[in-house]
Amino acid sequence: MNKELIKFPLYLITHPFNGYWELKYEQSKKLNLMMSFGILLLLILTNVLGSQYSGFLVNIYNPDQMNSLMEITYVIVPVLFWCVANWSLTTLMDGEGKFVDIFTSTCFALVPMVIINFPWIWLSNVISLQETTFYYFCNSFAALWSMYLLFVGNMTVHQFTPSKTILTIALSLVAIGFMAFLCLLFFSLLQQIVSFVTIIYQEITLRN
Amino acid sequence: MLKSKTKLRAYLLAAICCVFGLSAGGSLAHAADGGASYNYSVWGDTVVSPSAYEATELLTGDKLGVGVFKDPSDLHVTPDNEIYVLDSGNNRIVVLDEDYSEAAVIDSFERDGQTETFLNPQGIFVSDEKHLLIADTGNKRVVHLDDEGGLVNIVEKPSSELLKENFDFQPVRVIMDKAQRIYVMATGVFDGLMEFSAEGSFTSFIGANRVGVDPVELFWKRLSTKAQRSQMVMFTPTEFTNMDINDEGFIYATSGDTGDSIRKLNAQGSDILRRTGYFKPIGDINYRPADGRSRLIDVDVTDSEIYSVLDSKKGRIFTYNGDGHFMYVFGGMGNRIGEFNTPVAIERVGDDFLVLDKAFGEITVFQTTEYGRTLNEAVRSYYRGEEEKSFELYEQTINMNANLDFAYSGIGKSILRQGDYDDAMRYFKQSLDQRNYSKAFLLHRKQVLREHFGIIMTVIFGLIAVVLLARAYRKMLDRKRGVSVE
Repeated sequence: MNKELIKFPLYLITHPFNGYWELKYEQSKKLNLMMSFGILLLLILTNVLGSQYSGFLVNIYNPDQMNSLMEITYVIVPVLFWCVANWSLTTLMDGEGKFVDIFTSTCFALVPMVIINFPWIWLSNVISLQETTFYYFCNSFAALWSMYLLFVGNMTVHQFTPSKTILTIALSLVAIGFMAFLCLLFFSLLQQIVSFVTIIYQEITLRN
Repeated sequence: MLKSKTKLRAYLLAAICCVFGLSAGGSLAHAADGGASYNYSVWGDTVVSPSAYEATELLTGDKLGVGVFKDPSDLHVTPDNEIYVLDSGNNRIVVLDEDYSEAAVIDSFERDGQTETFLNPQGIFVSDEKHLLIADTGNKRVVHLDDEGGLVNIVEKPSSELLKENFDFQPVRVIMDKAQRIYVMATGVFDGLMEFSAEGSFTSFIGANRVGVDPVELFWKRLSTKAQRSQMVMFTPTEFTNMDINDEGFIYATSGDTGDSIRKLNAQGSDILRRTGYFKPIGDINYRPADGRSRLIDVDVTDSEIYSVLDSKKGRIFTYNGDGHFMYVFGGMGNRIGEFNTPVAIERVGDDFLVLDKAFGEITVFQTTEYGRTLNEAVRSYYRGEEEKSFELYEQTINMNANLDFAYSGIGKSILRQGDYDDAMRYFKQSLDQRNYSKAFLLHRKQVLREHFGIIMTVIFGLIAVVLLARAYRKMLDRKRGVSVE
């Protein structure tokens, strides 16, 4: 059981087609969710540690503006946006995946970003400027791998053809843009209402 | 969100600056004498800094006994510290010696037996042989006089196919290089500086500013018809605002350009200014949008590639070293000594500064403080490659101003030379100098690996041995189990 928790994500990222099939149809949902949250947690940890402890040659950070809470949102918000957008679209486009499936497949796709980037946090402290090329190469490799996994995961979860998957992914990105815009609008309106109310309150209290 | 916060902070900072007249920012560390001036940290924050220069004296025409200056517009100081003040309103040149006492007045010259005068001259330059060049703007000519005041040459409106028929030649600034070529900055000329040969004939334009194109405007221009386009504002390169020449013959020019407002031009006219500081040398980098960026109207270059520029908006004088690191700033707008109304020109007399105020007709003399002296010397010895001396001087500077981030890199370099790699890395990190940090780190890594070679190899072999033993042990267990199963 315990061994499975570590072995399965590694199996999935190396055999994505079989792995995602098992993830959706053969594993228990509860276990999948647990692993997904674990992966998200590890990714957050990697990013937080990375922004603080990565070598000076690859990471110039201003301690004044370093904010671990923001690092958390940088992971959670995109994942959430992606899942919501993808789910909203694929339900309309005959996708077979449920929200849970989309969420777990997305999280599992992020595994390379953890297992490649985490050791590099420490390795980046013992490299020279010329060797930073390897660092950047590995980082981009991890990102590409994750994108590939996301693609395969989405395809398997929804039982789409590759071309339809690409289409839904592109549409999901557009949908993310819409959602971001709506969120911005919502929050700015909320802010204005709040400030309106506070000003009215001030006006009344100052008038006697 | 994060960005808006920093922006807000910047506004706040600017507001504070305005309240106090002098700037004080995020106070990371205070120098001994408080913080009368400011500097920018590697992160772009405005931080306090001790003042490098202080106003000590005010020179007026009255005090000098030559009568009130009327709209003086340019200054020039020769290497032997003779000061030439161009008193434009009175159409004369006042020459002062290095003690700021009057030596001579030049207001006319002989041309073919007749005495001629100047009319509202705007620019003056004195060559190393004390030849005088005056941009006689009102008379639309450049007058070249020798050291005794005799006429050498007069450059008048040039005729060239590069110029339009109705070209109006109004020279405002003039300089001469060692080969006696004359460079003229004229109003309404967008093609760069006008270069004249030693004989006074026009050769070419050099160093034209690039045209800044707004993508939105370009888009509309693409869509519009020819008739519409003719009604629109043309894209023209910005004019130069001033220039100076250093002892190596490179021209330093300022312009109202929105990109690089300071340029160092080589003989070809291409820009070779090093901009390896934390920010491009453009004057203030934190400013309120309402104020806009600094408008640089004069430049003065001295030895060791140190140069200073004058901002006419806030009346500040910014000084940079050859690498483009911001050294210090002083001046400001106001009525107290050390503040100006309409500063138009700056010059260095040795390490002292002269700032000419056009409306007041005054020259303010600034002298270095202890901090300014140390910093000037530190930068100079660093430029000359005197490691030991620059190390000591930079240490002293940092003791007076811990916020001077580029100084740490200077210290790091000499520590690196001494072989203390670990410490050098720390200093380079402080000034965000990745290139040198990497150099120090490579040496440090080699040293560590060499020192601990024995231990490292022992550990590696030990691990291999352990792995092999574990594997053998497991095999043995398997065999035993296999036997028992059978």
